[in-house]
Amino acid sequence: MPLAAWVILAAALFSIGLYGVTSRRGAIGILLSVELMANAVNLLFISFGRYRGDHLGQVFTLFAVALTVAEVVIGLALVILLHRVRRSDVRVDEVKELHG
Amino acid sequence: MSLPIELALVALFTPAAMAVILALVPPLRRTGRPAAWLSVLAASISLGASVWLFADQLGHPSRDLLESVRWLPHAGAAMANVGLRIDGISAGMTLVVTLVAFCVQVFSLDYMRSEPAADLGRYFTYHSFFIFSMLLLVLAPNLLQLFFGWELVGLTSYLLIGFYFKKPSAAKAAVKAFWVTKLADTGLLLALVVLYTHTGGFEWTSHPGAEVATIITLLLFVAVMGKSAQFPLHVWLPDAMEGPTPVSALLHAATMVAAGVYLIVRTNPLFAQAEFTREVMVWIGSFTAVFAAVIACVQTDIKKVLAYSTCSQLGYMVAALGAGSVMGGYFHLTTHAFFKALLFLAAGSVIHAVHSNEMSDMGGLWKRMKLTTIVFVIGSVSLAGIPGLAGFFSKDLILEGMLESGHTVPWLMLLGAAFLTAFYMGRVLFTAFFGELSEKAKHAHEGGWEMQLPLVLLAIPALGAGYFASRFAGMWHLEYELHLNLEAGAASGLAILGFAVAYVMYGRGAPVATPAILRPIAKLAASGVLDRFYEGLYRVLGLKLAGAVGFFDRYVVDGLMNLSGYLALTAGQKLRRLQSGNVRDYVFVVAFAIFALSAFGILR
Amino acid sequence: MIDRIAFGVVALLLLLSALRVVTSKNLVHSVLWLGLTLVTTAGAYLLLSAPFIASIQILLYTGGVITLMLFGVMLTRRGEDIAIPNESSEGGRALILSLATFGLFTGAVLKTPLPQEAPPFTGSTAELGREILGPNLMAFEVLSVLLLAAMVGAIVIARRRDPGSQRPSLGLRIEAEAKSQEGKS
Repeated sequence: MPLAAWVILAAALFSIGLYGVTSRRGAIGILLSVELMANAVNLLFISFGRYRGDHLGQVFTLFAVALTVAEVVIGLALVILLHRVRRSDVRVDEVKELHG
Repeated sequence: MSLPIELALVALFTPAAMAVILALVPPLRRTGRPAAWLSVLAASISLGASVWLFADQLGHPSRDLLESVRWLPHAGAAMANVGLRIDGISAGMTLVVTLVAFCVQVFSLDYMRSEPAADLGRYFTYHSFFIFSMLLLVLAPNLLQLFFGWELVGLTSYLLIGFYFKKPSAAKAAVKAFWVTKLADTGLLLALVVLYTHTGGFEWTSHPGAEVATIITLLLFVAVMGKSAQFPLHVWLPDAMEGPTPVSALLHAATMVAAGVYLIVRTNPLFAQAEFTREVMVWIGSFTAVFAAVIACVQTDIKKVLAYSTCSQLGYMVAALGAGSVMGGYFHLTTHAFFKALLFLAAGSVIHAVHSNEMSDMGGLWKRMKLTTIVFVIGSVSLAGIPGLAGFFSKDLILEGMLESGHTVPWLMLLGAAFLTAFYMGRVLFTAFFGELSEKAKHAHEGGWEMQLPLVLLAIPALGAGYFASRFAGMWHLEYELHLNLEAGAASGLAILGFAVAYVMYGRGAPVATPAILRPIAKLAASGVLDRFYEGLYRVLGLKLAGAVGFFDRYVVDGLMNLSGYLALTAGQKLRRLQSGNVRDYVFVVAFAIFALSAFGILR
Repeated sequence: MIDRIAFGVVALLLLLSALRVVTSKNLVHSVLWLGLTLVTTAGAYLLLSAPFIASIQILLYTGGVITLMLFGVMLTRRGEDIAIPNESSEGGRALILSLATFGLFTGAVLKTPLPQEAPPFTGSTAELGREILGPNLMAFEVLSVLLLAAMVGAIVIARRRDPGSQRPSLGLRIEAEAKSQEGKS
């Protein structure tokens, strides 16, 4: 099994996530896409670690997973706050207070 | 660090510290008299240190100390040094400055009594600051530090002339003094630049070659003409009399205006290399001496008489230095500081008593103010050069130097000035102090002890300083020998004659009438022809130049400024669209940046 | 041969589910498709001889994150209806960008000489544990602090009122501010 196959798979996953992040309108939709991208990166770590022949990739993935969880927690808290302020579906393009 | 250096540091920084404290602690400054006493305390400490320093120097006449630290480091080497140079010349001048400053401050305690407390504090703050600035100049080891002191005394002069800044004439006089002296100071600045380019330093002992030395010294002399009020840049000095009288005594008679002469004495190694500059100095000095003396004869304001007299005496010093008689110039500077400060303070005492500057308001003051009259007589006689008093020795030395160097015409001019000096001083004496008691003088009385003590203190050196001439000359590594010959006799004779003429004309208490021959001169002096000339020059050249510069500034410089401002504004207007506030746009930008950075990393 | 078939199945499932995550019109469906993606990724980890990480993936992501996401969705929905819209817009530029990124990465991978066959793997979970708590202990501890901070932060942001205080929470203050702004405009 060539390593290139795994890497291209991860790249495809990442690109799909990127598409989601840039096209979704809802905050939760964007969060889901970010999860996809993070997942692609984790897959990349594991693949490279496997072909290196040691545990370093797995260690790093473990840390990255924990980081992602923290990010999801904060992201969802923000979404809930936004929902309370807006009393609506959380559509990010409705939040324009920072426009110039 | 040796004892003299420590003493000089005390003398230098005690007034500086006091000035800083008074300036930075307004509640203390605004208390008025306590602040004044603190300033006097600082001045007396400074004086004490100077006396000690001078006495120490007298014990080691040939000592020449230099203590300096590197300053303005540039490319590994220091561009200049800052520090203290203590030799006979600076030690002597330090004593003169601190002694006169101390006397003037004590005098001011009474003279300025009626000022509001806040103004009194301000006045003494300036005075403390002046002592520091002047000593900085006097003790400077090189021209650069001297320049700093030079500018600082110019600033103090401005502040003190404009002390009554609510009075339009005082404010105008301050600006005029500042303007004229700054114009002249440009010469000093340029001299510094030339000196640095040719020698890589600011030492006055360097030898940049005769031509360069001539250029440098000519530039220096321009600055001297401004500071020491030489014709035609003397116009600010009479106006400077708008300041309080003690200020005139300290700055505009004894010390600050003498800074120009001191500069020449210090930089004499340079001047010695410049034949042409010294010739110029002889002629300008002699002409100023006569010219100012003539104008002094027709003034009716006692302070103006003394101001023109100062001009005239500074002319003597400059001429003497030009003729190569350093001892004459410097010694006259010293004795003049004492008797002219004495005269000004005595005049201040009179003004304080009769509340007027006009001599016609005075008269018969002898009957009311014995001490003031006595010291004024001492000062006048000393100034006129009557044998036996301080002024005689120094003036005789100058005249002798002129003749020795072969300047016969300037010598004659200075002799004439000596006659005129005695005449105008006699005129002041006989009209103001003798004769009928005038209306305003009826209630005149002596000031408090604060005013009397300085008069006595200054009268002593005005009387006796001449007898120490040879001691001083030893300290300054100069020759001094008193020749009682025909020339000395001629000068003294002319002085006595001057007093005699004055007695004949004014001795019977006649009103101050201008003698017929002097009337055209009086008219000329009153018309302020030089002021008009400067004004015309200013209108023709200055305003046109300013107009051209203004045009350039308004349409070219401002145009560029406005253009760049307009561009920035427009760009901002366009760019703010980027800040749509739309999170998805931002997300897209971030995503695109990731892509772009990856592309950069991969395709590089 | 068998690993290639396994890879093909995993890759196909992964890509399909991921595509449904970003294209599904219903937000709940998106979340569920994400669950499938994550589970399939765990399968990929198994293929890469990382069973411990695979189990973490299922426990943490599929058990934790997906549940959290569903909570988020349910808490912020409007109306009673189960079909929660998950709209997309302006797909054009997003599509171009993601395709360009994919092309770029693929090109880079193909240009780089990468190993064809994986070396025999001798590791074990016990060794992984020693690795984490040995040389990487510092990072591990720092991470625990980060998680604590994230927890506190989430509570502060989302809470309604500070206990024992009359002051409304940060969230409610922002809310009130937003309302007063609306009232003004």
